[in-house]
Amino acid sequence: MKHPSPLTCVLLFAFVLLVATSPGDADAADVIKFGIATPLSGPAAPWGIPHKNATELIFDEINSQGGLDVGGKKYKLEIVAYDHKYVIAEGVATVNRLIAKDGVKYISVLGGSVVKAVEETVNEGRVLNLPLAYADGLVSPKNPLTFHAFPSPPETTTFWKWIKERHSQIKRVATLSPNDDTGWWSIKVETTYVQKLGYDVVSKEFFERTMTDFNPVLLRILAQKPDIISVLASPAGSVGLIIKQARELGFKGRFIHVGQIDTSVVANIAGKANVEGTWVHGYVQNPLPDKIKSWQARYTKKYGEWNATSIDFANPAFAFVAAVKKAQSLDQKKIAEALQSVEFENLWGKAHFGGKEYYGIGNQILYPMPFSEVKDGVANLVAQLVPPHN
Amino acid sequence: MTAALLLQSTIIGVSIGSIYILMALGLTLMFGMMHIINFAHGAVYMLGAFVIYYVFFQWGAPYFVAFLLAMVLLGVFGFLVERTVYRPIKGGIEPTLVALLALTTFLQAAGYPVFGQLDKHVPPVFRGTRDILGVMISSERLMIIPVAGVLVVGLYLFINKTRLGAAMRAIEQDKEAAALQGVNVHVVNGLAFAIGFALAAAAGALMAPIFKLDPMMGEQPLLKAFIIIILGGLGSIPGAILGGLMLGLIDSIVATALGAEPAFLLSFVFIIVLLLFKPTGLFGHAP
Repeated sequence: MKHPSPLTCVLLFAFVLLVATSPGDADAADVIKFGIATPLSGPAAPWGIPHKNATELIFDEINSQGGLDVGGKKYKLEIVAYDHKYVIAEGVATVNRLIAKDGVKYISVLGGSVVKAVEETVNEGRVLNLPLAYADGLVSPKNPLTFHAFPSPPETTTFWKWIKERHSQIKRVATLSPNDDTGWWSIKVETTYVQKLGYDVVSKEFFERTMTDFNPVLLRILAQKPDIISVLASPAGSVGLIIKQARELGFKGRFIHVGQIDTSVVANIAGKANVEGTWVHGYVQNPLPDKIKSWQARYTKKYGEWNATSIDFANPAFAFVAAVKKAQSLDQKKIAEALQSVEFENLWGKAHFGGKEYYGIGNQILYPMPFSEVKDGVANLVAQLVPPHN
Repeated sequence: MTAALLLQSTIIGVSIGSIYILMALGLTLMFGMMHIINFAHGAVYMLGAFVIYYVFFQWGAPYFVAFLLAMVLLGVFGFLVERTVYRPIKGGIEPTLVALLALTTFLQAAGYPVFGQLDKHVPPVFRGTRDILGVMISSERLMIIPVAGVLVVGLYLFINKTRLGAAMRAIEQDKEAAALQGVNVHVVNGLAFAIGFALAAAAGALMAPIFKLDPMMGEQPLLKAFIIIILGGLGSIPGAILGGLMLGLIDSIVATALGAEPAFLLSFVFIIVLLLFKPTGLFGHAP
């Protein structure tokens, strides 16, 4: 008999390992399963990993105190997490799997293009979704069970007003964003807002998320002589390359990311000196309030490496737990009703869902938003601004 | 577009094209001899970059030592792949394609647990920028051009001036006739695998300090390499060189003038139009 080749053996072993380690059906009794569809690998992993870890940490802490009390009964919180790599097809597959195979009724999906692709599935399945995503029309009356758990461009672009008041020499703005739902909406909202403030938007460029050579697109941008380049909605790895390559081409101005990126990842790729002066929303390393210092200690103890993105990406878990406590029910609709009125603590203070006057439904998280500026490689808090709508 | 911008984008285009050439040369060499498309080429590019990450950045070896090591290690890997994957399935084209695709998937999937989930970086080897006729070009990008040039010339001399190169050309023309003349087809095929893998590793090793590293980083260069070998003519080394240079220039100059999306589309439109008039590509010939 002919022996199988070494490659066949390795592939068979990998398959067996995959089957053996894939999450199966856990015992459903007294367990609340919360699904996470997020990029755990690839360029957007610096977002997805803290998304999963922050949710897991909050749930583990509640479980260690006996679980979540709903109607006099204690429930353990359990996450079922899948990696969608920020690829739409994988995102759809993971959300379908969460709903159809794992029977999950509450999920948190990261990524605008992925969330938009699963919009109908989520609505038809009556699944409560607490996404971390930028996408036009996501927070809308047609998505009553979707509660966006991170400040969106309509909230975060308010930081431009702060810049206008303090850095009047900045006049010419160039934008560079991913070529998908997330990027399109971000640039649409941001350019409308900055033009109203009197800025001259000299360039609007998009790139595929797989792009690594930004030289040609940067040459186009730099030809317009911008004072600042906004890289809204771009992942940290791409931002690192954009900054590095723009500096190599001679750009001396600032960069701004009024989204959420890990500036330590950016600095590693771009070089510390190149990142100096970059403004970023939602990522702060210094100074951290005591509450966040405690979070940092607990996070680092459990996961080894600190990731400041986890601060704001803990919102879905905080909001979900607060709403279940208030609703005293596991019914998605009742939890959604509770989300629209509950005020809860996140790591920056008090938060709630609102924005009805802007979105037509009060399903957008609102809380004082932190903005930082990178100095000597560290993201220092420069302002905490209240959202423009309530 | 100003003259300065045209010059800047042309130099950048030649630099990008040099990497494309290295990727495409290995692919076209293997196709010319064995009529297989090496889907594992992108994964080998990724492994070449990670050799630089560990040997140069983490362990502190000189960059060019790490560069040569990447080529040697991945070259040996290529030789072993020929021995354990290609040869046991007796060179069947379809089974080989599937096996190489499986190898790629395995290497990429294994990359995450082995290298970590977050993007990695390698510090610059050639720091700073150079002023060329008034335009700024990064030193790292400029260095790609001579290094790739040396490798291309080396490959040309090897194939045209050595006995092993002559054996490769003989197999490309007629495998059975070459075997009857005493050429050890298995060994020479293994050598072609080794050279192809080593060139892909060199491309990855050159790009490591310029871009970020992740297990999927080879997919885009692989796609470009496919385009180039079709453009240049399957199996043609001069075609891969000219095709790589042309695609690099299109990617840079058109993207600078019109944007990244039109450049991407134009590269495909260009190929379609060319293939309509010359179905075998620039230097290809009908079988």
